[in-house]
Amino acid sequence: MKKYLSFLASAFFAVVCIALLGCGKRTPQLNVYMWSDYIDMDLVKEFEKENGCKVVIDIFDSNEFMYSKIKAGSAGYDVILPTSYMAKVMYDQKMIETLDKSKLPNAKFIDKNYLNTLAADKTLQYSIPYMLGYTCVAYDKNKVGELPDTWAVFGNEKYKGRMTLLNDRREAVGAALFFLGKSMNSVDDKDLEKAKELLIKWKKNLAKFDNEVYKAGLQSGEFLVVQGYSGDLFQVIAESPNLAYMCPKEGISVSCDDWVIPVTSNNKDLAYKFINFMTSPKNAAKNMEFTCYCSPVPEARQYVSKDNQNHPGMFIPAELYKRGELIRDLGADNAKFIKIWDEVKLAK
Amino acid sequence: MKTRYTSLLVTLMVIIFMYLPIVMLVTQSFNASKYGGRWTGFSLKWYEALFKDSSVINAATNTLIVAFVATVISTGIGTCAAWVLHRYKFSTLQKAHYGLVYSPLVVPDVLMGISLLLMFVSARVELSLTTVILAHITFCVSFVTFTVLARLQDFDFNIIQAAQDLGAGGFRIFLKILLPLLGPGIAAGAMMAFTLSMDDFVVTFFVGGPGSTTLPVKVYGMMKHGPPSIINALSVIFMALTFTVAIAGQFFTRKKA
Repeated sequence: MKKYLSFLASAFFAVVCIALLGCGKRTPQLNVYMWSDYIDMDLVKEFEKENGCKVVIDIFDSNEFMYSKIKAGSAGYDVILPTSYMAKVMYDQKMIETLDKSKLPNAKFIDKNYLNTLAADKTLQYSIPYMLGYTCVAYDKNKVGELPDTWAVFGNEKYKGRMTLLNDRREAVGAALFFLGKSMNSVDDKDLEKAKELLIKWKKNLAKFDNEVYKAGLQSGEFLVVQGYSGDLFQVIAESPNLAYMCPKEGISVSCDDWVIPVTSNNKDLAYKFINFMTSPKNAAKNMEFTCYCSPVPEARQYVSKDNQNHPGMFIPAELYKRGELIRDLGADNAKFIKIWDEVKLAK
Repeated sequence: MKTRYTSLLVTLMVIIFMYLPIVMLVTQSFNASKYGGRWTGFSLKWYEALFKDSSVINAATNTLIVAFVATVISTGIGTCAAWVLHRYKFSTLQKAHYGLVYSPLVVPDVLMGISLLLMFVSARVELSLTTVILAHITFCVSFVTFTVLARLQDFDFNIIQAAQDLGAGGFRIFLKILLPLLGPGIAAGAMMAFTLSMDDFVVTFFVGGPGSTTLPVKVYGMMKHGPPSIINALSVIFMALTFTVAIAGQFFTRKKA
């Protein structure tokens, strides 16, 4: 009897717990959906205090997963942070709002240079850029010496089995396209065929295509040369003085994550306030120092600490803007990339 | 003589493969390096960071709430289902029931996640921790049912008849005979449900609403962006907890016997 009662009691307790969780919603709540460890939590707390609200941050680990979830009708999020190409897809499908710029006075701080050159949404019609990152190559300079800045290093048999490229079809095929002097968004069949052959040749020198462990592998000496994301690589390099980086002269891919407001948001005013808050130069500086990525707010520089004034991840050198290219959504032509990526993966 | 060495070798290999990763994990959690590629000194800073990082603590609490509630409810439902499936196994209705309970075991997670999400959306249910719990109950029930069903296969129904002969009522039979005899099966099912629920990423990702990030979702996110070191520290704490519970459990059962 006792067992039975305690079972009932615990079930009852659980139900009460759920009920309590469900009704603690008196203060306004802003639900943010973004990447993990990508915002300074002190700033979030400051925003909560200023606006008397609660900010709940949920995370996703891939644009595609997030898209399918929102597309299927998952509501409740007020601010989402997709990568540019995904923001465009979402806007074309009317999943996100056209922004009311009168509610975003800080939008004037966004870098005109960035908007005119790389940006996908040049007039800030549906998105506000948050952080820019680029893909570069990091290497162990004690073991390979100074490397010239070119993608050709992946064709060097000397480092066979000690190099990695990103496990991402757009980045890996993009590197090969750059080396051939083409755009990484090229959908020309001849270009792609050549890129495929080159990538298969490079693959023979690679340890693997990898997105996660290359950071630890480079640090431990398992890998000598890796392609990786700037923010992450600079954090690794800061820890290990024997590491260095280079940005291949043929071209590099730049990506940007943008704040957008989904049409299903219940709290649009607070969402505008949040985006505006994060775009102010002072706060952009704090987020830059937290993430090691570059915020496209030039005036933030004066608030960045002295040590980081020339940080290559936080301040993308102007000449990189010229060589850089943003990954674009290719619509139906995406299938071409998928096809050659499969062939590369299967090649021996 | 030869076989003895072979079996010793196999045992050693198993121990190494099973426990070396765990040893590595524990060591890495004390490594001062952020990405753990190099030993840069002993440090407790990841444990400190863990206790300061409210998002990880939140995710851990969510995971435990979901796992606990889903286990309790799915164990109850699963045990009843197993009982019915076994008792009336020759009826057509129960054959259909068997098929229904069996299918979640073979349906891929992605399908299950997206179909549950579509169902919640079309029923206009607000996504939250509650929907996550409901989804977890859905797939845990099948696992509990089949574990208890296995236990029922060699259950001697004469005992129940004997009890009825001696005048025991239905409730008493349940308490004094069924529960103790099926206990280990039910407990095994519950443990399985608990681990599956703690582990689940795909289904949780789809049916979770604002504020229902669980630990697996958080960990996947941190693998891409952010330092894995905090996760190492968290795993060590979780492991210490599980080991304590397992050892305590063994200690108490031994005392009884």
